[in-house]
Amino acid sequence: MSEYGPVTGIVGKLLITLSFLFCLLSLIYYFIAAKNDDDKKLKIGNWLFVIKGLFMIAASAVLVMLLFQHQFQYYYVFNYTSLDLAPKYLWSAFYGGQEGSFMIWIIFSWIAGLGLIKWTRAPYKAPVLFFLGLTQLFLISMVVGWRFGDFTFGASPFRTIAEEMPNAPFIQANPDFVPNDGTGLNDLLKSPWMMIHPPILFIGFAMMTIPYCFAMAALWKRKYNEWVTPALPWTLGSNLALLTAIFLGGYWAYVTLSFGGFWAWDPVENASLVPWLFGTAGIHTMIIQRKSSIAQKSSLLFAILAYIAIVYETFLTKSGILADSSVHSFTDLGLYNQLLAFMLVIAGLGLGMFAWRYKELPSPKKESKVLTREFMTFTGAIMLLVLGLVIILGTSSPILGLLFNENPTPPEISFYNNWSMPIAIVMAFLTVIGQYLFWKKYDLESLATALIYPLMLTSILTISAVIMGDVRNAYYMLFLFAGFFAIVGNSWVVGRLAIQNPKLIGGSLTHVGFGLLLVGILASSAYNRPLLDKNTENYNASVKRGEINDEQGFKVSQTVDMLELKLNVPKVINNQYIVTYEGYDLSSQNRPGQQTYKIRFDNLEGKFLYYLYPEVYPMLTTSNAQNVNWSVDPDVRTGFLSDIYLYVAGSSFVEARNEEVEKRKVLQTASDTEEEQAEAQVIEFQRGESKKIGGFQFSFINFIQADTTNLPPNTSIGIRAQIEVYHEASGEINIIEPLFAVFNEEGNSYVMSPPVNLPNHDLSFQFSKVNPEKSSIELSIFGLDEVYEEDWVLVIAEKKPFISVVWSGTFLLMGGFTLSIFRHWRREKDKQKE
Amino acid sequence: MKPKVILGIVAIVAFTSLLMYNFGESISTYTDFDTASKMNGAHVPGTWDNTQDYGFSKETMQFTFFMKDESGNVRKVVYPRPKPNNFEDADRLVVIGEMRENVFYANEMLMKCPSKYNNADPSEYTKASES
Repeated sequence: MSEYGPVTGIVGKLLITLSFLFCLLSLIYYFIAAKNDDDKKLKIGNWLFVIKGLFMIAASAVLVMLLFQHQFQYYYVFNYTSLDLAPKYLWSAFYGGQEGSFMIWIIFSWIAGLGLIKWTRAPYKAPVLFFLGLTQLFLISMVVGWRFGDFTFGASPFRTIAEEMPNAPFIQANPDFVPNDGTGLNDLLKSPWMMIHPPILFIGFAMMTIPYCFAMAALWKRKYNEWVTPALPWTLGSNLALLTAIFLGGYWAYVTLSFGGFWAWDPVENASLVPWLFGTAGIHTMIIQRKSSIAQKSSLLFAILAYIAIVYETFLTKSGILADSSVHSFTDLGLYNQLLAFMLVIAGLGLGMFAWRYKELPSPKKESKVLTREFMTFTGAIMLLVLGLVIILGTSSPILGLLFNENPTPPEISFYNNWSMPIAIVMAFLTVIGQYLFWKKYDLESLATALIYPLMLTSILTISAVIMGDVRNAYYMLFLFAGFFAIVGNSWVVGRLAIQNPKLIGGSLTHVGFGLLLVGILASSAYNRPLLDKNTENYNASVKRGEINDEQGFKVSQTVDMLELKLNVPKVINNQYIVTYEGYDLSSQNRPGQQTYKIRFDNLEGKFLYYLYPEVYPMLTTSNAQNVNWSVDPDVRTGFLSDIYLYVAGSSFVEARNEEVEKRKVLQTASDTEEEQAEAQVIEFQRGESKKIGGFQFSFINFIQADTTNLPPNTSIGIRAQIEVYHEASGEINIIEPLFAVFNEEGNSYVMSPPVNLPNHDLSFQFSKVNPEKSSIELSIFGLDEVYEEDWVLVIAEKKPFISVVWSGTFLLMGGFTLSIFRHWRREKDKQKE
Repeated sequence: MKPKVILGIVAIVAFTSLLMYNFGESISTYTDFDTASKMNGAHVPGTWDNTQDYGFSKETMQFTFFMKDESGNVRKVVYPRPKPNNFEDADRLVVIGEMRENVFYANEMLMKCPSKYNNADPSEYTKASES
């Protein structure tokens, strides 16, 4: 530990404090500049703004340094890293905790601010930067960590263990206590996906502040129209970042976690989805802003709502309110009041300003016709808003559920599905009609004519999908039709635009992506099937018919959705595959103690298809000698039509390890009781012969003349048997050479056969006898289970059709957004030149 | 008021009421084993009773254990999946399912683990000094 350690922390705290003060100062200057259109004050404000960010970057550098130096006296370093952590994860530990994630959020927000300083035009510049600075002031306040007696303002990343746990016995014994190692990063988070996910998410959060700031500036300066051109590229950029973050999170969950999907309506997922939906709604109205006065109002509202959604969901996820309803664990850092204040100020200012200026806002002069691009686009935006509100309602169950009962649980997943499905169907139809009207004027008749071919193609696609996928649910058929209609109709528009002006296809492309998402989501979730053998399928069918009763005579209602595989015993699965468990491998040193299981898939003709390698490993951060926590890492076989997703939920290996741990525990608690003398199993075999017992194959290869130098002087016989021990499940081969010697002492002859241990299998061997007449030997084996259970695994495997379509839909959305950013950025640049 | 505005308001009110009604239906209340017997899809929070036998049976393909709810009732819980990986570590369990006679059939089980994100009790940290 460096002796500068304690000083470094104080420097870090000081830097954050300075950052906070400069932020406050810049706010004052920005406010005056905005109020009086004072350019000089604006310049000073900009300098203060820049310096504030530099302080925050310096503070982050200090924190990163502490992480890399393993200064475990700091709680943040102790809590999120350990000595064995690879440098890339030390780096990601910087934003692994809440304090660091606030810091990275502030830094990205500051970088966006630099862009605003460079590019924003009057009269918006000063007020936009004022509101941006205001949000940063709140964010910095979360990490200042000032102490006033018992009250702490913000949670500093530089607090020491002694500050964090003053009552801990080891701190009271020695206030300067420094742990030798940290608790380490959660194994699940050690993934490249999880390294890039948080920064991208915070880029999205930071950029989504900007439309809010512009909307607020517009309301302040009463310039309700021009703000949209500069705000639109930022909103698009934010949406692209949020979408990418959502995708990375979903993909990570799919390939790492055992819930077997990419989306679970968890509050944390919703926290990034809702701002995305509101932002998308804002993008829609901003695009039609010039032609529609109702859009002018709603663009302001959506820009404000999108950022409120971010702050609200931050409040929900970081205040500890959701502790019971999310699988994510959150700390309550004691920021509840600060987060609440942040949210109330942002929402109060935003909605308050909107209400205050509402009378002044331009209102529609005439009713807009239904078959116009403005009406369709606006309705689309409203649908996005409604979907977002439904999700907020569900996510807020710990608060809003109190209306219904005292101790509300989160809503069932079906709540989200039941509401999002019809909304998505309506949206899908709107996208096509909207896109047709967007580029050309139609009346009802000409629109119907134009849509004939897309509708025909959609029908063909839907019918084929219904037949091939054996879709029997009418609602799903409608959903599929809507999804295919969105794909076909929008592709039609993309095609036409690509010929005329390829630069314009961004928007249409996103709508094709949306259609693909709908089809992919339905296929992969509603037609997700467990892979089971015939017996289990029959059993489940009887359960569903209500024919199975348990021992107590109750009807069994729960189906069995897993598969037991015995070592090297093939099983026919889903009448489609032959699946064989071919053992496990302990050698891969990716994670200590990890087993890599080998599951082979063949088709029914016996043709080899592929291997899947699911893994099980002990979670190092939470395991100890008394208790091993096993974690699973699924393997996914990605295919164009369907994915096979598989993980090992249990195995004889894991069970044996757990039993060992149990045994050790018992031995520790009752150490005076003598260990039972293990029964030996004796095998007799001749040279060249092999015997299978207890999952092992023992082959007697040859005799070796023993080296007599270490043997007693009167040895008459001294031989070793060379025996190969083959462990079937792991494929491990060990050669042992136990000794058999006979020596004479004082007229008596003695046998000497010292035991040979094989520690990784907990076995020991004794070469106990030679039978010269049969030319065979006897080998005594200790530690083999008397009743040997064959090696097995319990596998949970699922077939998920068309996950690839979900991803390609997401990629199209990303591509479309990217094209639109360029297009609208160019438009803003042209405006600046004027 | 214009008829269109009235229509709009009616639509919004109808939508909101339906949404809130459905929301109210789809959330449930955390309860104990006693009340759970009268409910479907009951959420029962509690802690694992580690004094009694527990484990996964490959014959029935079920994981059984005993859980103590917040009113202190101890009941057998049957969960149709293998033992979750961090089961022993969980300091709080929520089982979701049905009570039949004296056995709770959990369709789902949530575990709250004393993760490092929480300010866990310091005893957990004494290890670090020993190692």
